[in-house]
Amino acid sequence: MPDVAYGDTPAHARNHRVVVTGLGAVSALGWGVPPLWEALLGGRSGLGPFSRIDHSRQRTHIAGQVPEGPSRRLGLPRGFSRLSVAEQFALFATVEAVGDAGLPQCFSALEAGVFFGTSTGGLLESERYLDQVWSRKSNGRGIGLMAGHQLNAPGDTVARHLRVAGPVETISSACASAAIAVTVAFRAVREGGVEVAITGGADCLSTTTYSGFNSLRLVDDHPCRPFGANRGGLSLGEGGAVLVLERAERALTRGARIRAEVLGGGVSCDASHMTAPHPEGEGAARALLAALRDAGIGPEAVDFINAHGTGTFLSDASECAAFARVFGERVRTLPVSATKSIVGHLLGSAGAIEAVATILCLEAGVAHASAGLGRVDPALAVDLVDCAPRRLEAGSTGVSTSLGFGGANAALVFARWASGLA
Amino acid sequence: MNRGVVITGGGAVTPFGLGLEPVAEALRTSSPRFVEVDRGTGYHGSCGARLAGLVGAPDLSSWLPVAVGRRMSPPSRLAVTAARMALRSAGLPEERTDQETAVVLATAFGPASFSERLYRSVVKDGPESASPFLFAECVANAPAAQVAITCGAAGPNITTVQREAGALVALGRGAAEITSGRVVRALVGVVDELPPVAHGVLDRFRALARERAGLPEAPRPFDRRRNGFVASEGATVLVLEEERAARDRGVRPLARLRAVGTAFDASASRVGWGTGVEPLRRGLLRVLDRADRGPRDVSFVVSGASGSVAGDRLEAKLLCAAFGGGPLPPVLAPKSVTGEYGGGLLASLTIACESRPFGPTAGFREADPDLGLTPHMGGPLPSPRAVVASSLAAGGAAVWAVLEAP
Amino acid sequence: MSEQNGTRSTIKRLIVKSLNLDGMTPESIQDDQPLFGQGLGLDSVDALELVVALEKEFCVRIESEEIDRKVFASVAHLAAFVDTLRTSTASGPHHA
Repeated sequence: MPDVAYGDTPAHARNHRVVVTGLGAVSALGWGVPPLWEALLGGRSGLGPFSRIDHSRQRTHIAGQVPEGPSRRLGLPRGFSRLSVAEQFALFATVEAVGDAGLPQCFSALEAGVFFGTSTGGLLESERYLDQVWSRKSNGRGIGLMAGHQLNAPGDTVARHLRVAGPVETISSACASAAIAVTVAFRAVREGGVEVAITGGADCLSTTTYSGFNSLRLVDDHPCRPFGANRGGLSLGEGGAVLVLERAERALTRGARIRAEVLGGGVSCDASHMTAPHPEGEGAARALLAALRDAGIGPEAVDFINAHGTGTFLSDASECAAFARVFGERVRTLPVSATKSIVGHLLGSAGAIEAVATILCLEAGVAHASAGLGRVDPALAVDLVDCAPRRLEAGSTGVSTSLGFGGANAALVFARWASGLA
Repeated sequence: MNRGVVITGGGAVTPFGLGLEPVAEALRTSSPRFVEVDRGTGYHGSCGARLAGLVGAPDLSSWLPVAVGRRMSPPSRLAVTAARMALRSAGLPEERTDQETAVVLATAFGPASFSERLYRSVVKDGPESASPFLFAECVANAPAAQVAITCGAAGPNITTVQREAGALVALGRGAAEITSGRVVRALVGVVDELPPVAHGVLDRFRALARERAGLPEAPRPFDRRRNGFVASEGATVLVLEEERAARDRGVRPLARLRAVGTAFDASASRVGWGTGVEPLRRGLLRVLDRADRGPRDVSFVVSGASGSVAGDRLEAKLLCAAFGGGPLPPVLAPKSVTGEYGGGLLASLTIACESRPFGPTAGFREADPDLGLTPHMGGPLPSPRAVVASSLAAGGAAVWAVLEAP
Repeated sequence: MSEQNGTRSTIKRLIVKSLNLDGMTPESIQDDQPLFGQGLGLDSVDALELVVALEKEFCVRIESEEIDRKVFASVAHLAAFVDTLRTSTASGPHHA
């Protein structure tokens, strides 16, 4: 009897090395990876006043809004501006990533899949639709606003643009969505189900999420200060990010520029509370350990952490407890970057933009600075890279963690690409 | 490593009641249960779809104590109830801390009613009125998280949102967690709620069946006169287990899962179906190949056809192409009874694999000459030696599963 | 004192209504009964939901740093806190 096969796993699962050949991003720093990297390197926050929604009556007035754009439309399809904002983020980041990978913007001849994560999809547009309905101005007009409302809209839009014929899936597990999607994409490439995977996420600011997080008193009225002594909550952000994953041998054969290697991914669930993390970071630690096991390495091999680091009191403490569980005393000297201090919390797609940040850091051999943090909380055992970027050793390995509502946790392991296959 | 996966239990909350039995009875007698939706909420036009498969207000207290469900959204309540039923029917404890149980749920609309209520309160009374209760459940993974918390299922927890294809995506994703060795079992399922806002949006997109020229509103899969589907809400959750573990426990499986696979039709529009038969045909044949089966081995098809004009056409063209233009095996269209969304397909698939009888396809009277396909007209079905389930989602995703009786 | 009692009984009513405590009557909640943990068994999300109800009912604004276990220890503590806010909010309704 042959091996049974599920999902994207072929009948005989392989064990290909998986590399990242393309990156794309949209964030408060701008449309594209270059402005993001420049800000990460300089520890310059993109958080501040915003206009995506009316927040005059909200408790807080800070967010990481993507600036008007994009200024260059090369490669973007006709009808781009009629898409939902989240779909636009997804598509721009995809076009950038695919171009970065040196691949054509058509995957119909490839064994390719799309694996996306989002919390909001077209939630902003659905709010605008409801406004019209409730003001009785609509009578059905404006229903087009809902075309991109579905959570699978950004991922499907990317798949249609690239004319993908393989697996297309969107995951919505709160703040771990995109990290889980990247994990699923990684497995699909590693096991041979696809030869190329487009993976990432996109989310847009909305009144629902802004009000909701404020109702839980989880939003800082100051740009967020992950792990900071004076941290007062998170800052919401928006944007999107995409990674192109390929089998290493395929990338090498076609002479692609390899940005990093994906070593492993792990997913877990706290199973304890809907909004508060496990106080001792038990679920997060399990995700980290599962990711390391998947990567075939131990905690001692990790050189760098891109933390979930939201800036909320409980989540940061819980995450540090998880780090201590996994890395022991090493936590005091293991450099940690907190990307959310630069771009804010992108919710479902946070894992994607933080994966991009992790890869950029590994590639440059630098852990990026976190912005405007002030003193690190002395109660937390964490070696936060605060004011200035810090050099990483050659051959570095980094992990990125994403911990979400409902206790959904995911961790990814990346390594700077050492050319040549061992 | 050969890790077979079997279905060992199932639970459901549907318009037909609690459990899979009422669904089986409805399928046997071809009896949909659609009721009038509340069209007085401002989301509907003056003429349009009137019906849906609604769960109503069943008493869930024997499955979900009031204190436990106090803060849950409707989808969470349905999913937890269905999950507990599934665990009990599989002879597993309904509550225990266990990292070896994954949870993979699919939802098309997520927490629609709580999201709408939250936004409405903010618009009407300002952000200070936003309810933490509502927001804590305003994530698509709230039902999966609540299943994890109440059932102690602390393995990987994934929520997938591929609309009409969600059930089979969840099935495949859950099975992959088992075959990878990461977990021993998985709770997989579908949950949807259909508040008036969701029904109204579907109707505005002309996705729903409507009364026309004396023809009552109904789903008519593959029928020449079809003009849309009828939407439903509900939850179906199955227990998937590694086959050896189930055997060791002495439990008799309901069905064996042989393969799940996916493809994508890039010619689809954002809210509709395309015409890309060829990539889908290759995808379906690839899944059969992974199951070590060919088209001639297929006992019958459990189709996701719902009465959608374009969706059913694509499904029919796909099936005809996959079976090489030759005679098709029997094609069941259970959404003629269960409606679209809410786990009807997943429940029907499980019931079909248990060799339960299916009545004639409800609503079907006239074949569509363009399709070349006539769905099941009642009568005995072949033994389920190789059952293909097919679901094509609006937007382009397509997923198939191959199952067999144990 | 009677105003204090009025605040307490209103808070009890809000606890039952806003926290979906079906099957419980406001009168069954003791003034000094712990609201968290072993007492009524509420958690942080319940506290925040109650805050929304309290702000609306009493036309006060409760700052995040004021939402702690001491203030929310019992109905009596909460009533005292709310009454203090009300007397200091002399200008009437105050919303952001």
